[in-house]
Amino acid sequence: MTSQSHFVEPPPLAVRLVTLFAPDREAESILGDLLEEFSLLASKSGAPFARRWYWRQSLKTILQLAVLGFRTAPWLTTVAVVGGFFLRKVVGRLVSPTLFAVLERYQVYEHHFSMYIFLFSTGFDVGQAIAALFVGFMVALVAKGREMVATTMLSLTFGAMMVVVLPVLVTHEGYGIALSRAMWSFSDSLAMVIAGAVVRTRRLGVATRHQQA
Amino acid sequence: MADRDYLGEFEHIIVLALLRLADQAYGVTVRQEIELRTKREVSIGAVYATLDRLEAKGYVKSHRGDPTPERGGRAKRFFRVTAKGIAAVSRTHRALESMTEGLGFIRSYS
Repeated sequence: MTSQSHFVEPPPLAVRLVTLFAPDREAESILGDLLEEFSLLASKSGAPFARRWYWRQSLKTILQLAVLGFRTAPWLTTVAVVGGFFLRKVVGRLVSPTLFAVLERYQVYEHHFSMYIFLFSTGFDVGQAIAALFVGFMVALVAKGREMVATTMLSLTFGAMMVVVLPVLVTHEGYGIALSRAMWSFSDSLAMVIAGAVVRTRRLGVATRHQQA
Repeated sequence: MADRDYLGEFEHIIVLALLRLADQAYGVTVRQEIELRTKREVSIGAVYATLDRLEAKGYVKSHRGDPTPERGGRAKRFFRVTAKGIAAVSRTHRALESMTEGLGFIRSYS
């Protein structure tokens, strides 16, 4: 039992999330501390208990690290989030003209009518998701070391705006359309966080290689 | 002004834990010491966020230990209280003693 428990791994997703949110200089010690206590708990109380403990600790720790990340660089994070907000508005307006220009250029209406219908409806939403991903990358590149905090704050801002607007959408456009727009809006928010995670992972990889060299 | 600062409640608890643990004070032992004595669940993130703040104020210092296998090859980060930190904890303690003096605090509210 003890020897088996000793090799139990903590939940990989929780480890990944802590790694993404932890500041560079804290990540090693925080992950080491969590693993040390996890191994001890796994051998004493079993793997399921230890895994629940790890998740609980990780979620609380991520919240604390997000606050710490913002507090240690409030201006950088705020500038990245506010800049990202306005960039999203600008880039979002370009999606529709770009899509129509492409449809016009390749005469999709005449040659591929079913594709035209798809691009005309879903293509716009996909374009907005790609725009959100682009904005997420820009915000993460600016907010160096706080990529996850900045992109999460930005996505929560847009998410909160959608929640506020949702009852109005339901009243004016009906339940089905409102739900569809809400889903696409939350997808856009998720795309921003994914972009933050990609940039953070890339920077962590570069930092690790730099340390090893 | 900064030198006259008092410690916040959790900062006070963390500094006392560091003083108790002496040269064995790192994330795990600090967290466990606080849980053991205060009977409240503390996250490792809260411990590090507070230690980071205390280090920025010059109340604690940290250094890295050697990587160990039970930590997946990761090093421990040990903390110790500086002279400035000891002065801050003493000041806070005196202020609390002064505020509770004559209240029959232990008898009436425990």
